[in-house]
Amino acid sequence: MYKPLNMIDAVKQLLKPQSVSGRFSYAFIGVVTLILFIYAGTEIFIDNSKINKNLEQKIMRALQLSKISLPTPLWNLDNHIVDDFIEALFLDESMVFAEVIWGDQVISKRVREDYTHVEFSSLRESSLFISMFSDILYEGNKVGTVRLVMSREMVKKELINTILQTVCLMVLIIIAVTITSLIITKKYITSPLLKLKESSSLIAKGNLDTFIDKSGNDEIGVLAQQFDKMRESVKSLFLEVSEKKLEIEKYSRTLEQKVDQRTRELAQSVEELQALGEVSRVVSSTLDLNMVLTNIIHHAVQLSDTKGGIIFEFEESEQVFVPKINYGLSDTITKKIKRSILRLGDKTAIGQAGQLKVPVQISDLADELEHPLPYIREDGFSALLAVPLMRQDRLIGGLVVMRKYVGNFSDRTVDLLQTFAAQSALAIYNAQLFKQIEEKSSQLELADKHKSEFLANMSHELRTPLNAILGYTELIIDKIYGDVPEKIEKTLVRLEKNGRHLLNLINDVLDISKIEAGRLTLSLDDYSLGELVSTVLVSVEGLAAEKGLKLSAIVDKDLPIGRADQQRIAQILVNLLGNAIKFTDEGEVVVEVGTRNGFFLISILDTGLGLSVEDKQIIFKEFCQVDGSSTRERGGTGLGLSIAKKIVEMHGGSIWVESRPEGGAIFSFSIPIRVDHQVES
Amino acid sequence: MGKLILVVEDQEDNRIILRDLLTNSGFEVAEAVNGIDGVRMAEELLPDLILMDIQLPGIDGYEATRQIKANAILSSIPIIVVTSYALSGDDKKAYNAGCDDYVAKPFSPRKLLEKVRNFLN
Repeated sequence: MYKPLNMIDAVKQLLKPQSVSGRFSYAFIGVVTLILFIYAGTEIFIDNSKINKNLEQKIMRALQLSKISLPTPLWNLDNHIVDDFIEALFLDESMVFAEVIWGDQVISKRVREDYTHVEFSSLRESSLFISMFSDILYEGNKVGTVRLVMSREMVKKELINTILQTVCLMVLIIIAVTITSLIITKKYITSPLLKLKESSSLIAKGNLDTFIDKSGNDEIGVLAQQFDKMRESVKSLFLEVSEKKLEIEKYSRTLEQKVDQRTRELAQSVEELQALGEVSRVVSSTLDLNMVLTNIIHHAVQLSDTKGGIIFEFEESEQVFVPKINYGLSDTITKKIKRSILRLGDKTAIGQAGQLKVPVQISDLADELEHPLPYIREDGFSALLAVPLMRQDRLIGGLVVMRKYVGNFSDRTVDLLQTFAAQSALAIYNAQLFKQIEEKSSQLELADKHKSEFLANMSHELRTPLNAILGYTELIIDKIYGDVPEKIEKTLVRLEKNGRHLLNLINDVLDISKIEAGRLTLSLDDYSLGELVSTVLVSVEGLAAEKGLKLSAIVDKDLPIGRADQQRIAQILVNLLGNAIKFTDEGEVVVEVGTRNGFFLISILDTGLGLSVEDKQIIFKEFCQVDGSSTRERGGTGLGLSIAKKIVEMHGGSIWVESRPEGGAIFSFSIPIRVDHQVES
Repeated sequence: MGKLILVVEDQEDNRIILRDLLTNSGFEVAEAVNGIDGVRMAEELLPDLILMDIQLPGIDGYEATRQIKANAILSSIPIIVVTSYALSGDDKKAYNAGCDDYVAKPFSPRKLLEKVRNFLN
């Protein structure tokens, strides 16, 4: 703030050596003082000599006057006149001693009162006095001597006065000069400078509109003008910068707001995406419709900032909406909604949404006095949004969310709800589809089972007459009914062979049918695999011998006692050995039996035709043999391996085939050493 | 007099085959067509051997076998069960019922005859 300068401040200012005006004043005053002192000294010196000279002149004049005036009275001895004359001489204040003597006789003498005690002789010697004497002559005759002493004291006094005056004058002048200089410095230097300083500090503080007094035409004025120009340019620069700063601030604020908004949006989106992700996951991971819909309505209500929601399924045949799941509703309302009949196209939001196939909202239920479900307001709901559940233009249901305050639902909420609606539609559609598929598949399963049952029963029924045929044939061949001609006997043997083939076919079909109908149960019991293998070998060694094949078994010693359906295992062994013998024309068939990792491992090696890669892939399928011709040539139903595979699997084991590098095949199967329960296929 | 064999069988063809086979081999054959008759005839005739079918009207072969074996007088009579192509576990059921041997259909008459002779000699 600008403070008016008073003198004290000015003096203080002056005493500060730093201040420009102070330095200036000191210099100025110093110069003036010096000049004054020189002047005073000179003046005093001149005065002094002038006064001395004056005194000398005065005493000379008094002496001269005495010489002129006194001869006559002295001559005439007129002492009075002499006295008067001396008296007159004392009119001069400097005169302190005057006497006129004649020889030793003092004719007239006068001493100024203060000097009565002083002798002329002593006065003469003092530098304080000036003395003169002269003889008074009358026509050439000495008539007396006049002696005069004048005090220099008067001169001194005068001088002191002069000095005092000079000093006073000087002091006055110095004071005047000082004041003047102060005023001048203050007015023309300090004040403008201070103002400038004040202004500059104000400017420095940021007040760029500070007034700068630039009235002076001197350097300070110029400086002020320049400074003002500087201020102006700084101001304009500052304004520019301020504008830019404002712009930047505004921009950054906008940016900040945008970032904020975007962050919020992103957070919301992330939340929505997470919710949708979870919903999608639930939709795709379970077919439990209630669970899916509960999840959907839960998220839909949460993300749409509502308090309650219902998902309806549309009953196409009745054209009504049936509530499937609800969230956030009281039991009373839930019951009331379940009792209400919501038809497509009625005045409810869902009825309309379903009819128009677009989202329908009621922003204030209080305005909809004729709303068919007035009790919704009992739970405090004020607004609702209904979105139809559509699946490929087909109405599947509806999703309704309810809010406890009035107002429109934002587009965003509507969009979000539509996404949830799509998920709900998908879930309901999936569930419906799944239900259909499940029904179909159980029908199919039943049909399949019926088929298998039929085959099983049919095979059994087919076998009864066949048994009779085979029985009679054997009886005839055995000549129970008497002799048979040789030709007929041969035919009968072929008849029996074909009959047995047919029987085997029927038996295999029966096996497969029973397995597939789930009617085959394993009869699990302890057994010795070694003994089982021996028994089976005995039963097939005839076949091998017929073809001239070597049949052998390599059985590990100390095989543990196993547990399985040994009849079925025997059946597999017979089948595999039969096949090996059937498809081997020369060489050998070997059975290897051992254990590995808790399993029995049984392999049948032959030196037969072997198998191609394609064969290996299909060989365990039903009704399949390597090729049709060999089937016919070598017999067999093509079911044996398929049955073997199923039986092995029912034991919890596996069966496979490998080719031997030297030709031939290895059929192997493994079954757990101890089978405790049957594995359901 | 040849040994008496009781054939319990509802199937006529099977009865004929067994009758022809056994009579031709010098056995006497009595026939029952259901389980109840089978048990009754066993009690009445005290046969030397019984061939028992499983699938019978009335009481089945298992039950009939059990009843015969439960009778102290009859329990020593060997019973050979003749079943249709075995459902797994049939043999066990048959042995549990108390039969002495088990022949699965289709039986070879020759092999059946062999078994019968083994029991009766």
